[in-house]
Amino acid sequence: MRRALQRLLGRRRQVLVAATLIAAAGLAVGVAGSVGYSLATGYDRAAQRSDQPDILARFAPRRRSELRARLDRLPNVERISYRLEVNRIGLGAGGRFSRRGAVHVVHPGRRGYAIVAGRDVRGDGAEALVERGVAREWDLQPGDRISVRQLGELRVAGIALSVDNVAFPLASVPRIYVSEAMIQRRFGADPDPDVNIALVWLADPARLDVTLAAARPAAFGLRTEQLLTGRGVRQAIDQAAGIVIALLAILALVACVCAGAMLAAAASAEVRRRAPVLGVQRALGATRRRTVGEQVLDALLVAVPAAAAGVAIGALAAAAPTAALLGYLNELAPGAALLWPLVAAFAALMAVVAAGAAWPAWRLGRRPIAALLRGGDLTARSCVRRGRRRGAGRDARGGLLALGAHFALARRARWLSCVCVLAVAAAAVLLVLAVADLLVSLRDDPGTLGRRYALTVPGEAADAAAVQRIPGVAAAAQRSTVDAADSFSLTEPLRVIAYPGDHVPFEAPPLASGRRLRTEREVEVGAGLADALGLRPGGQLAIQAASGRELRFRVAGIVRALENDGRVVYARTAPLLRDGPSLGGPIAVRLEPGAARGAVVRRLARAGFASRATGGATARNQAFLAVLATVLRNVALAIGLVCLAAVVQTLTLTARDRRRSLAVLRATGATPRALAAVLAGAAAALVVPALAAGVALQRLVLAPVVAGLAADYATLPLGVSAGDALAVGGGLTLVGVIAVLVVTRSALGEPIAAGLEHED
Amino acid sequence: MALRVHIRLLAVVACLAAAAAASGCGAADRAPASGSTLRSTLRDADGDGALEPGPAEPLVARTQLGAPGPAERTLATLAIVSDAHVRDEESPARVPFLDRFGAPVDSTFRPHEALSAQVLDASVRAIRAERPDAVLVAGDLVDNAQANELALALTVLRGGTARPDSGAAGYDGPQRAANPDPLFYRPDVDAPRHPGLLARAQRPFRAVGLGGARLLPLIGNHDLLVQGELPPDARTQAIATGDRRLTRLRERPQLPDGAPAALRIAAIRALLAGPALGPTRRVAADPGRRALRPAQVAARLRAAAGLPATASDALDYTADVGPSLRILALDAVDRTGGSEGRITPRQLTWLRRELARAGRRAVIVATHQPLRSSRGGAAVLRLLDSSPAVVAALSGHTHRHRIEPRRRRGGGGYWLIETASLADHPQQARMLRLVRTRSRPAGLALETWVVDHDGAGLAGTARELAYLDVQGGRPRNLQARRGDRNVRLGLRAPCCGPIS
Amino acid sequence: MTPLLRLRGLTKTVGSGRAARRVLDRVDLDLQPGELAAVVGPSGSGKSTLLQLAGGLDRADAGEVTIAGQRLDGCSDTALARLRARRLGFVFQAFHLVPELSGEENVRLAARFGPPGASRRVAALVDAMALRAVADALPAQLSGGEQQRFAVARALVNDPALVLADEPTGNLDASSGAIVLDLLSAAAAAGRGVLVVTHDAAVTARADRVLALQDGRLR
Repeated sequence: MRRALQRLLGRRRQVLVAATLIAAAGLAVGVAGSVGYSLATGYDRAAQRSDQPDILARFAPRRRSELRARLDRLPNVERISYRLEVNRIGLGAGGRFSRRGAVHVVHPGRRGYAIVAGRDVRGDGAEALVERGVAREWDLQPGDRISVRQLGELRVAGIALSVDNVAFPLASVPRIYVSEAMIQRRFGADPDPDVNIALVWLADPARLDVTLAAARPAAFGLRTEQLLTGRGVRQAIDQAAGIVIALLAILALVACVCAGAMLAAAASAEVRRRAPVLGVQRALGATRRRTVGEQVLDALLVAVPAAAAGVAIGALAAAAPTAALLGYLNELAPGAALLWPLVAAFAALMAVVAAGAAWPAWRLGRRPIAALLRGGDLTARSCVRRGRRRGAGRDARGGLLALGAHFALARRARWLSCVCVLAVAAAAVLLVLAVADLLVSLRDDPGTLGRRYALTVPGEAADAAAVQRIPGVAAAAQRSTVDAADSFSLTEPLRVIAYPGDHVPFEAPPLASGRRLRTEREVEVGAGLADALGLRPGGQLAIQAASGRELRFRVAGIVRALENDGRVVYARTAPLLRDGPSLGGPIAVRLEPGAARGAVVRRLARAGFASRATGGATARNQAFLAVLATVLRNVALAIGLVCLAAVVQTLTLTARDRRRSLAVLRATGATPRALAAVLAGAAAALVVPALAAGVALQRLVLAPVVAGLAADYATLPLGVSAGDALAVGGGLTLVGVIAVLVVTRSALGEPIAAGLEHED
Repeated sequence: MALRVHIRLLAVVACLAAAAAASGCGAADRAPASGSTLRSTLRDADGDGALEPGPAEPLVARTQLGAPGPAERTLATLAIVSDAHVRDEESPARVPFLDRFGAPVDSTFRPHEALSAQVLDASVRAIRAERPDAVLVAGDLVDNAQANELALALTVLRGGTARPDSGAAGYDGPQRAANPDPLFYRPDVDAPRHPGLLARAQRPFRAVGLGGARLLPLIGNHDLLVQGELPPDARTQAIATGDRRLTRLRERPQLPDGAPAALRIAAIRALLAGPALGPTRRVAADPGRRALRPAQVAARLRAAAGLPATASDALDYTADVGPSLRILALDAVDRTGGSEGRITPRQLTWLRRELARAGRRAVIVATHQPLRSSRGGAAVLRLLDSSPAVVAALSGHTHRHRIEPRRRRGGGGYWLIETASLADHPQQARMLRLVRTRSRPAGLALETWVVDHDGAGLAGTARELAYLDVQGGRPRNLQARRGDRNVRLGLRAPCCGPIS
Repeated sequence: MTPLLRLRGLTKTVGSGRAARRVLDRVDLDLQPGELAAVVGPSGSGKSTLLQLAGGLDRADAGEVTIAGQRLDGCSDTALARLRARRLGFVFQAFHLVPELSGEENVRLAARFGPPGASRRVAALVDAMALRAVADALPAQLSGGEQQRFAVARALVNDPALVLADEPTGNLDASSGAIVLDLLSAAAAAGRGVLVVTHDAAVTARADRVLALQDGRLR
């Protein structure tokens, strides 16, 4: 061990570079691993901890005994508890106020939420539980006071987490919970109070569909307003996270592979350098295994602390944005459970490092000892291209750069491995940036989702005609959305988007197959839903509306829609209207080409319509998407560090190989700037092909793969934008410049005479 | 020498093994799978809505009328199968669209309604394994008083090729997949999915029949009245044998809840009589769907039971099961309509006479509707109170197991035993055994236990669907408590002198 | 006349710990323009070290080096480099040509660092040394003599005032060595100062001054 430490001290600079490389890889792995794992498991963890019911149903208010008489008949039910939800209650605390608060009056029984701070409300005291999103946003702790219209000031007994929706303010309605006992005490005892929410826990959650099918006759006559199953909630919440998680996993893998490749290159050079020493050892009887073991030990001595630091820093750096993401989603952070995947990632990285160190040593060990003792260049490949005559009289300007490029190219394998690493990293970064751009455009640009309306105006269907008359408005129609389920597979939720007439002027997600719907008996189905239900154009779709009626449609075509994970159905409003009085929904406003949005907004305001700009995603997801985009860009940055370390290492090795030539140059009068030019040439020989290869790799391989993953939802425009390519090119250039500066400085530190003594 | 011994040993072993295998197979042929709950029960221990085999339920003693002594000799074994509701589910004379409005019309549709014949067949097989002396079919053998239903049910009871299909070949009813009404369970598309179930249910099958056991039928309200409520008339006959079926109502009907029978009948009649109540669908006409007249039903049942024909259309008769037991069957169906039972004064007179003639036999009185809830039933009960020979009064109709003691003044009494149906969960028949006890002085006791049908094929699916039915036996607890199922019932000894 | 090269009190210790040797101990030297001086001494006596210090290839422990009136001590790397480019020319025993470049390109490379106009002299120098025929060949394809001639051309292309040669003929046969010696003499004759470290008797014979380095002292 001590000898190993001495060996390491002997080549401090290389050790430092290698450590930086590993730390950067560890950083990328730490960030990607912790974000990915947290997002992937956050929902399940929160659902389990908060004892999420298998079914959450909202009805029109009824007496509890009546609802109980109906729901107790359902098969496969373990427990049912009830709540009364009262909406549009003013809530205020600490200077914040909301007019749209929801108060859940919780009846005795299983709660369906987890207490994350403080304690539950049970007795009839004047207290309330506050939802975690509200507590975070309004900065509330147990013991604070919150004022509730009609209930006065209540003490915050605790903070509750429930996964049946995203958190405030992502969801626009802040929620508190109070106990039924308190309400009874306040407003008078009622042996059979009204309830409008039933939480159902099943004995066997796998038989959810049987219970849902039985719920249809049991709930006949009850006006069911919403039927949420765990799966429906999860899909509503996990909208964009799925792709991001897959991406982060790929990136972590890329980081590991890059680190491994670079380490292999460095270890290979190191082994070559130590070949005579190794030869002597072997001559004295040391086995090949021992030499390999030494290499591995050396590598691990550097790698373990570096990687541990990198992973830890990465995880810590990712902690805050991850917590923000999870907070929005009403999910739980893994906490201590994050340790295991990080340890596993660390171990994987160590395995890669060890393999990268052992492999060249093993290969070298196959050579005869005499060859090792001879030392010198042990690679069979020629350093110099023989017989190639260069054109006489060529302009020597730029000759230094070309010389540097020559130097870099001399060791083909090393050059190739560095270029590959840079290319892969560049491609990965380009992909990440593309996805981040997509998320941002999802947020800001409705065109991403195929939307052609720029504004929405709250109003009734009758207002559409008035809106359309306003100059600058090309078309206006009410856009209604209904959350429903497939009638034959009640566990498959879907969202119906209905327009009174043709929807194509307002939104036209690209057609994957079939044709647009023409009559009110037809629908267009999103690709995600079509895949889940096995639908094709010409097939039949049966929708169960909340009222219990079954509506059947013919599938006219399948579209690529990004909204709601592709589980959307475009239909006409008419058949849905037979179901209930009116569907509601804002009026979508499409502007005439060339019309100025601001002017139209003002005209609408004058006509009495308050308009809102359309984002790509729904407003409640915008903040979430922004945080996701930030996380992705930070991961890209971490990978950039890997690139930096790779280039620095390669340049260092090149400079070390070419010590003599560099010394000769300096002896001949090369200024430090000239020296830097040579190294810049070497760096350019690495960066330029890497950038080209990276762009090609991203466009030809990675983007199609990821787009294929998301093919259900949309044709994701994941091509390389000029801005991204410039950014990555600039980044690589910056990396190259930094590397050149670092290596030049270190090269200049050595006396020329010492350099002259070395073989090239 | 040793070799020969070895070979002989091997041959002996082989023979034994073959014999065991053969006997095993043969045993399976001779004795069909038994559903007796004395051997194993079906229960849903984990609450997930599916029945699984459970432990046996041995007899418990009920001593309200006296402690039942240990049994010495079995005097008679009776099987009771009640409310089979064998049904032609494709008939136009049905109102399944009323089912969703709940009580009192929530028995107009069942998710497993196409499988009624198969369930009866499975129950028959299970009963056969218990080897009863007689089988009391306690009424509501069919569901809609239709001729084809009765023919199908009798075929299943007697044995032969049962043909459940009616109208055109195949299934054409409210449960077909193309019906966009999600309140009908459509096995091809709704959970739990059973694709092709309805097609399989229409196929003819071979019924083994009750074999040698004596058939003792009772008439129930569904045997004579349309949907158990309405006496058939020209209008209902036209609908039944016609080619149009009402698929749903345009408006929600006003059905008086808890109103007396006359009002309910009037409401249903108005429903069926009104024109254009809702969209109709063309179906294949089938003359076999006509409703039989009460006299025809009684005549056919008498013929099936081997009873002498009479002029009266009331199915009142006396039947002896062995030398020790006499069954007195009463026809409690009101021909003017309504599901409530009624006993006429004439029947009361007849009963009194028969009780006096019973001699030293034990007497069991059997009606479809329980006496306690029938018009004129109170008088019958008072009559039975004063007849020491009566050991039990049997009935069905409620679809629920129920065993209550009825005390006599001066000690002792008799038992009121109601049996669950085959139509709803728990889909069980009942065995009833009259035994002489070893007590001193010697007395009588009754042993009764319930029998699950063997659940083979479609009958098993029917049991699964019946258990899930939210309007069925599970939410309404029709399987009752243990004391209503497998019990030993004591009778105050001595009640009567058994012969031999 | 101002000496081209002036060493005063140069001291250098090589090695560390018990292996430390003082190879140069307060060495003084003046080299005048037009002078060809040879330094001789036993192997390992620090002759190369003396040359390297004189050329600024290494830093002395003590003492000062002045080239054409400019002291090396306080120079920055860039100034040193400029000095080496314009005032100094090196010739090494191992030739030290850049293997990737042809002979002429090696010379041209040095011309890049020199004053403007040096590039024009490359072709002339190559012709003058009768190397035109092999001007495009890579060093691996050249004989030792040709390589060293290219090295001398490289040393001279920027018209340096001082030429430092470390065993220039050490790896050459007699005839090649003679050619190189002629080139160095011509350089000295042209007014440059040439300091040669050598074993070769032929060199010492042609030198104007012969100095012996022994035990760190120059005599």
